[in-house]
Amino acid sequence: MSIIGPQAQAQVAVPPRVRPLEGGSRLEWVLMHLAFLVVTVFFLAPFVWLFTAAFDAQSQAYIRWPAQPTFGNFVAIFERYAFATALGNSVFVAVSTMLLTVVVVSLAGYSLSRIELRQKTWITYAILLLQTMPLSATMVPIYGLARELGLRNSYLGLILVHSAIELPFLVWLMKGFFDSVPRHLEEASWLDGRGKFRALFEIVLPVARPGIAVAAGLSFLSAWAEVLMVLILVDQQAMKTIPLAFYETFRTAGGYTEVQYGLVAAMGVLYVLPVMAVFFATRRLMVRGLMGSTRGL
Amino acid sequence: MGKVEYDDVWKQFATRDAPAVRGLTLDIADGEFLVLLGPSGCGKTTALRMLAGLEHPDRGDIRIDGRSVIGLEPKDRDVALVFQSYALYPHMSVRDNIEYPLRVHHLAAEERLRKVERVAELLRIRHLLPRRPAQLSGGEQQRVALARAIVREPRVFLMDEPLSNLDAKLRTHTRTELKALQRQLGVTTIFVTHDQAEAMTMADRIAVLDAGQLQQLGTADTVYQRPANLFVAQFIGSPPMNIVDATRDRDVLVLAGGWRVDAPRGLDGRAGLKVGLRPEAIELDLAAVSGAQPAEVLVSEPLGSEVIVNVMLGDSLLKVRTAPEVRPDPGTRVYLKTQPESVRVFDASSGAALN
Repeated sequence: MSIIGPQAQAQVAVPPRVRPLEGGSRLEWVLMHLAFLVVTVFFLAPFVWLFTAAFDAQSQAYIRWPAQPTFGNFVAIFERYAFATALGNSVFVAVSTMLLTVVVVSLAGYSLSRIELRQKTWITYAILLLQTMPLSATMVPIYGLARELGLRNSYLGLILVHSAIELPFLVWLMKGFFDSVPRHLEEASWLDGRGKFRALFEIVLPVARPGIAVAAGLSFLSAWAEVLMVLILVDQQAMKTIPLAFYETFRTAGGYTEVQYGLVAAMGVLYVLPVMAVFFATRRLMVRGLMGSTRGL
Repeated sequence: MGKVEYDDVWKQFATRDAPAVRGLTLDIADGEFLVLLGPSGCGKTTALRMLAGLEHPDRGDIRIDGRSVIGLEPKDRDVALVFQSYALYPHMSVRDNIEYPLRVHHLAAEERLRKVERVAELLRIRHLLPRRPAQLSGGEQQRVALARAIVREPRVFLMDEPLSNLDAKLRTHTRTELKALQRQLGVTTIFVTHDQAEAMTMADRIAVLDAGQLQQLGTADTVYQRPANLFVAQFIGSPPMNIVDATRDRDVLVLAGGWRVDAPRGLDGRAGLKVGLRPEAIELDLAAVSGAQPAEVLVSEPLGSEVIVNVMLGDSLLKVRTAPEVRPDPGTRVYLKTQPESVRVFDASSGAALN
């Protein structure tokens, strides 16, 4: 009997749940969702503006529903502002940068992961040190170097410089990925009769695929978004990439006094869409890569 | 064919003070099942990896079928290695994993198919062929790893603790199967393990290693009955051999606690001795017998088919194996006897066996 007493009391003491919410009052629930809302609006607002303004014949610097929805802005940027050239240049430069970067960081990362070198620690620190250098500090030497080597206004110049920007970080990233690929896998391949180079391509790289996806994604994004080096390296209209076209349209399309927001927004839409498409196509691989996992392939 | 010779092989890693392998000399006959046995860090895996070409010896020669393989890349040695982690290629199906070495060696598609089917049949993994390694249990992965090694028909199989990731029951079962499979295939096999029971049950011969040095090479019976030194005596056997300090009084050895046993014949007269007695070499009586040594029971450990009785002899603890019905209570006085031929005598300073 004495056991039943306290139990019964305890049951009474627990108040009935008002709502099925894990540990929290109604006020907490409201505050939490309000916070979500504020953050979401803050981050999404620029994109909402981008997509509404791009289809607005008289777009303004604030968000409004297009009074007269139109494709006119898109037609205009292609017909009057040579956007196709900029788009083509951007795609070519970003894709080439991505390919070059992936090849270089895969080989460099694998080497740093596997080869026993006496000075390996110093080499890896030196690479990381390079990444800490502010890019703008190197503007003048890069300009001079590119001019002397005839790399200004050339695809090669843009590709090389864009590749170099993210290279140190991505070499580190890939070294980490290769460290997580068991050595036994490639050793098994050697014993199965493969030479070291082919074992790398047949066994190690496929297993490190999430890492390669991240390296590819980040190098593409970096080259796609890069403005500073394009400003330094390019002054011919035929060579300009989207960020440069974007910048010039913003400054000059309205005759230096006003801004043609519709044109800028249309360019912006076409600038972000490819990136979003790439992300959605590869999101699973990218997420796994960013979480540093090579398992479950 | 697959005759393997290690000839005074040395290996030192830059990251370690002592050499991993010191002067290993070992001849392994064609078709033999040799187990490299020793505690972790004894150099057994290094010895195996040097034969595979994954490590390079600093000195000495390694030969397969009389020809040195020192300068050869792993791919040119024609040996197959089953890794402790199995090292299955995670991005390939089981079928592709097994087929991989055949593809590398440019076998025709038809022949590849035939060989993969045959080895899958042999290891009873046909139903697993379309799956990925991540979808397999540990035991299944282990079979696939074996299949990948077998399908190539290499000169030598190397196995680096392939059973250690299996649970105890499956390990015992696989042990038997693996031994039968090796008999059937007749391929020279070098098997690395730290598990002495695994070594005893599977090996034609066991090479016991410690601190990079070969301690003894012999059949399971030899290393168990006639250990070459104190290390082997204490590493092999469960429970291990009892080791007690002893002095010599003419034809009698005086053990700790004053137990006098007849010295084995032909023993050199020496001081500083240690006597080794297997737990089953000691006879335990509950009643006083003439010439038997009295001792006190500390605890009895029943194991079902046998009992390990722990007795105190002076300051030394002796483990005695008895029949299941003999399980004296703690504190009981018991009487110990042994036969001179089961007494092993070791030099206390060098550890070497003297008889």
